[in-house]
Amino acid sequence: MPTSNLQTNADAADSPARGDVRIDAREPKLHGPVVRHIAEFPAAGRSRDEAVVRLQNIGLKFTSYHDSHPSLKRALLNLVLRRSAPATNKTFWALQGIDLTIRQGERVALVGTNGAGKSTLLKVIARIYEPTVGRLTTRGRIAPMIEMGAGFHPELTGRRNIQLNGALMGMSRAEMTAREPAIWDWTGLAEFADLPLKYYSSGMFQRLAFAIATEVEPEILLVDESLNAGDASFVDKAKRRILDVFDKAKAVIVVSHDLGIVSELCTRTVWLDHGRIVADGPTPEILDRYVRAVTGG
Amino acid sequence: MSVAAEPSMTGDETAEFPAPLEDPRPALRAMVHTVRMYVVRDIDEFRRFRGVIGNLVSQELHVRYQRSMLGFLWTLVNPALMMSTQALVFSRLFRGIGGMGPWEYAVFLFSGAMPWTFLASSLTECTTSLIHQEGLIRKIYVPKWIFPLARVLIQGITFSLSLVALFVMLWPLGAKVSSSLLGLPIAMALLGIFTMGLGLIAATVHTFFRDFGHFLGVGLQAWYFLTPIIYRSDFLPADERWKFWLNPAYPFVRLFQILIHESSWPPAWLFLLCGFIGCATFSAGYLVFKSQERKIVFRL
Ligand SMILES: Nc1ncnc2c1ncn2[C@@H]1O[C@H](COP(=O)(O)OP(=O)(O)OP(=O)(O)O)[C@@H](O)[C@H]1O
Ligand SMILES: [Mg+2]
Repeated sequence: MPTSNLQTNADAADSPARGDVRIDAREPKLHGPVVRHIAEFPAAGRSRDEAVVRLQNIGLKFTSYHDSHPSLKRALLNLVLRRSAPATNKTFWALQGIDLTIRQGERVALVGTNGAGKSTLLKVIARIYEPTVGRLTTRGRIAPMIEMGAGFHPELTGRRNIQLNGALMGMSRAEMTAREPAIWDWTGLAEFADLPLKYYSSGMFQRLAFAIATEVEPEILLVDESLNAGDASFVDKAKRRILDVFDKAKAVIVVSHDLGIVSELCTRTVWLDHGRIVADGPTPEILDRYVRAVTGG
Repeated sequence: MSVAAEPSMTGDETAEFPAPLEDPRPALRAMVHTVRMYVVRDIDEFRRFRGVIGNLVSQELHVRYQRSMLGFLWTLVNPALMMSTQALVFSRLFRGIGGMGPWEYAVFLFSGAMPWTFLASSLTECTTSLIHQEGLIRKIYVPKWIFPLARVLIQGITFSLSLVALFVMLWPLGAKVSSSLLGLPIAMALLGIFTMGLGLIAATVHTFFRDFGHFLGVGLQAWYFLTPIIYRSDFLPADERWKFWLNPAYPFVRLFQILIHESSWPPAWLFLLCGFIGCATFSAGYLVFKSQERKIVFRL
């Protein structure tokens, strides 16, 4: 069964032979092992370029379909009757000419008005959206906390959901089993471990989702508006925990409209507007300009 | 290694867009290169995401059969009832199809209808596999083909279990235990490859044309009756029987009929034919799916 497979995988990963192969930055890598070896990488010719995320001239074009779910019936009829389909699809660039390099240890905030393209940019980095043009480089395990509880299944127990989410983030079953106690410990939900998720209260659900996302020790953490929810004790606890994760992660990118959180957590701020980078620099300076532009006009 | 530039999600990755792999030049070499990159990447991703695939399969089985073993038995009742009704009705209706009595006919029907059920329900489930997982696909990176694959695997497991259970039920009625049953895993693997190819196409088309499911339902019904499952191929006069071989599902059904009903080993050419049809269908499905995979997230 899978367990034995994963076991062999992990064993092999620890063998020096496989580790050596991975020293070349361009070699393809598998999940478990990579994480460990990357941590020791600086010696391997990486010191000069510690870019963890690099976007070069990234552009993303959305097509708003005239008919978002066209029918096969009509398409076939059009084909038979030799009518041409009404082609009124509108396209629009949600991101344009994005050049952004994020280095090891940086905590970057993305700010901008609604619809500026912040969430879209996170999704591009997380490889959920494939950009239309450009070049994208990422180094390390990415944990997108773009929407909490992305891989949850309401019919399954909390325990099974932990496994599922771990697998989605590239953790092996063994690794995830090892982390399970810590998750229950932090959430204080151990007694609900074998209860199907649909019977969790929304606060409990959120705690679990947050605990899993932060427990997998992501190297690149992408956070979208998920820091400001839950009851007061949770928010406080969550803040401390996320600071912990921030310290361990190689890079953090946060999208937030809460400028307090931004100035508290992030060293660097990127201001997006209409899919373009308007300004990029130290947080206080950029926030100052941003606030003046948004409020002062 | 020549795959050096190939990206890998959780490790280091560099990718250029539009992917230079997708060189629009009609040159054959560029196409071969593209396909090779797809395959290399998917093999890598299969290794990385097999945990997710395992989870998808076990979560579905768990949800289905969570309440009790009765859940599983219940999934047997439906085909068992359907087959016994059909066995009774048809053995009267077309009296003496190829000289089969009702019990022998039941075994014959069972041997063709089981693989058909696997094919039809896999395709039906593959069709909606992507849009049902919209929540996941839009929130986290996953290779999209794991969803149709998981559906086929789940159906495959149900298929094997029901095969065993129904065989046990039919045993007193004259289903013979013979060495030919050992050929079943091979036949199932071949059918699985064929089904997966069609499933990839169904999943892709349904994402772009949401009424495809209706067409599929009607199409599967017609296909079922065109395939010699409830009747034997000698239903048609001898000089017209070759027409059944135009039906790509027929060799697979025939394989199961020979293995279970006739309790003998099918000729090697039948295995080869199934292998060929399976691989060709799978390749076609894979290419269709890969050419659209990146667009799927924008169309959910
Ligand atoms: N799947 C999609 N299809 C078409 N257009 C989209 C899609 N997703 C986002 N958009 C558009 O892209 C633009 C950027 O959206 P995005 O969600 O990135 O904004 P945002 O900066 O995160 O805004 P907010 O602060 O409100 O969260 C918007 O105009 C939005 O309408
Ligand atoms: Mg947003």
